[in-house]
Amino acid sequence: MGNVSSKNFVPRSRKFVRRNQKSFFQHKHDRKYLTSIMSAVKRAQQWATFARTWHLFDATWQNPFDSAQVIIKHLMGLHKPIYHPMNDCGDHVVVMNSRDIALPGDEWRKRVYFHHTTYPGGASWTLAWELHNKNPTLVIKKAVYNGMDGNLQRRHTMQRLHVFPDDKIPEEILKNISNQIRYLRPVPTRLDHISPEEVENYPKIVDYPKQYILR
Amino acid sequence: MSSLRTCARAAIRIQKLTSVIYTGERGIKRWVAPTLRVINKRKAKLGPQPEPRRSNFLDWNYNAEIFAFNKRLSENFDVELLQQAFTHRSYVAQEEQKQREVGIENPELSIKDNTDLIVEGKCLTSEIVERYLRQALPRLPEEGILKLKDYLLSEEIVAKVSVQIGTKDIILSEDHPVRQETLVNTFFALVAALARSNDVVHTSFFVRDFLIATLSDKEILSIWTPSHPFQTLDAILNREKRGSADFRLTAQTGVNTILAAYQVAVYSDQQFLGIGTGETVQVAKNIAALDALQRMFGIADFSRPIPFNLTVDVSSQRTENLPLTKWCTENLKHTVGG
Amino acid sequence: MSNSHLFMKTGFPRAALNNGIGRYVCQLQRVTIKFCKNNGSSRGVRDFLEHDLVNFAKENPGIVVYVKPRRHRTPALSAEYLNGEKQLLFCRNYTREEVNKWLGLLRSQVRDTSAIRLRKMWHTDNPSIQGPWTPWTFRDPAQNLVEFPDPKLFKMETEQQTATEKLLEIFKAQQEAERKRANETG
Repeated sequence: MGNVSSKNFVPRSRKFVRRNQKSFFQHKHDRKYLTSIMSAVKRAQQWATFARTWHLFDATWQNPFDSAQVIIKHLMGLHKPIYHPMNDCGDHVVVMNSRDIALPGDEWRKRVYFHHTTYPGGASWTLAWELHNKNPTLVIKKAVYNGMDGNLQRRHTMQRLHVFPDDKIPEEILKNISNQIRYLRPVPTRLDHISPEEVENYPKIVDYPKQYILR
Repeated sequence: MSSLRTCARAAIRIQKLTSVIYTGERGIKRWVAPTLRVINKRKAKLGPQPEPRRSNFLDWNYNAEIFAFNKRLSENFDVELLQQAFTHRSYVAQEEQKQREVGIENPELSIKDNTDLIVEGKCLTSEIVERYLRQALPRLPEEGILKLKDYLLSEEIVAKVSVQIGTKDIILSEDHPVRQETLVNTFFALVAALARSNDVVHTSFFVRDFLIATLSDKEILSIWTPSHPFQTLDAILNREKRGSADFRLTAQTGVNTILAAYQVAVYSDQQFLGIGTGETVQVAKNIAALDALQRMFGIADFSRPIPFNLTVDVSSQRTENLPLTKWCTENLKHTVGG
Repeated sequence: MSNSHLFMKTGFPRAALNNGIGRYVCQLQRVTIKFCKNNGSSRGVRDFLEHDLVNFAKENPGIVVYVKPRRHRTPALSAEYLNGEKQLLFCRNYTREEVNKWLGLLRSQVRDTSAIRLRKMWHTDNPSIQGPWTPWTFRDPAQNLVEFPDPKLFKMETEQQTATEKLLEIFKAQQEAERKRANETG
């Protein structure tokens, strides 16, 4: 558990007291001891308030640009009452099924991702469907990245986003999760996923004549 | 003709241009910066100077200071006793030495020093603090009371209080700047002087308002924590004939990270006792036990704050709080009386 | 906050030594009024000394007031607080009322407040009575037993009925009614 092991948990404050009991007012730190010593309970309460939650988001049939807004909110901790720009209180978001996102309208064909290698003639334009074929996590990642303000915090915030193209999430990440984010829009059922009996029993307004040819 | 006119106009303009002389003034005189530079250089060359004594300044009137000290704290010190409380043995010795240097063989000064006041005041303060804490925190175990007393009577706290009520400049002592020990002794001497000029009840108000009130923004658990919260809680529950502590994991997140957080609540007979969070389950359990204890002892964040308006009766019978080994609600009723 | 405040000392509003919990102690311990006897810039201060000084000293017996004439210098109020801080306030060309007001400020403040930038305008030791918020404060405890991912928890909370579902509902009701009628007649 790295730097937060139970070893340096209670004794730290004790050590502090013992060292400073003799010569007060002589060091700058000693004066601090008077007002800012924290009990184990207060420290635990801070640990609870600033605990990083892991959220799970299912991108199936979701608009990545709308989803990005919700994901950003959780990544930056904007949904918390303790939020403050100088407060490091962002959560982790695990996105699954990013392969099954749904872009609105003809965005798959019309949306273009630009990249430049910085060499002359190094510009390239990739269509959304091409990018998605190459890497099914990139569209949503870029949507989240571009949805945030371009400040120094952005890349650190992005580190808390974990995108998986399907529902195969590694076990150690799955264990961290303690919350789920709901869909932004209902997931439609595809016709070929409905059983033939159900289709058969579905109410019909008219019965086609037998000789009627369906084209 | 027209060319002549233009020439004349031009000549007038040129004259105007040349006649404008800027007569602005520099805001800070030219000599200021170099002078300051020299002064600073000389200061640096001299090295660090001793802190000047406030009482050596021209604007200093000892009697006025003593009078104001009395009024500032809204107290009724006897002025002679007050002056005695501020006069340390080292100062008297220094004065005698000065007279001896002048040539007086047996210097006899009529200055009284505060040696006996210090001893008296120390006992009295300790007594008042102990009794007050017991009265204000009846549910806190005796161990906690003693630790709080030690904290309040520790040199740093008393010295801070002493400075804040304005003794630092008025103290008559050899050491300068005034040592922490001298500040503490002065405070104790003041307590004794007040007891002599008024009565003990009045003195307890003084100690309460200036020394004990420093506890108002302190977290008691940061000063005293029961050393084995687990065993202590179990023992208390056992004495109260309740079911043993039952720890339940109520929430967890980021289990595989270094920022893992586990929340554990402790119950007894399905009654909620306390809750705690930690980076491991063991730490969280410890905190939950501590939380349960602080709720029982009435020192949690949301408990009733320590009252700072009580009156202590120093002459009454000493009744100690329950020690941790005997602490339970039943015993508490006998000692507190309901 | 302006640029001139960038290098200022910062702090939080705090009462000195829990002032007011026990009893109130005026934090100004002594003030020296420096002025010139001749110069016009000290005129207001001289007026103050003549008319208001005695009253001020009577009303505030806890403050030691010193008066210090100095020739041909700007008048000033030098205040010393109980926390050991000193504040020098120049009062060149101040009127008597202004001197009164500034002295009132010195008397009522804890320290030299113009030398400190307050990071917050309030202070509390216990910001919340219910206890500070945690990620689990408003969480349904049932979530403890969930095994993630749980398809039910992905469902939108306010998922509206679709037209198809509505149609199916009507159809079923219709069929039910027909069956009933058939039973009654038959």
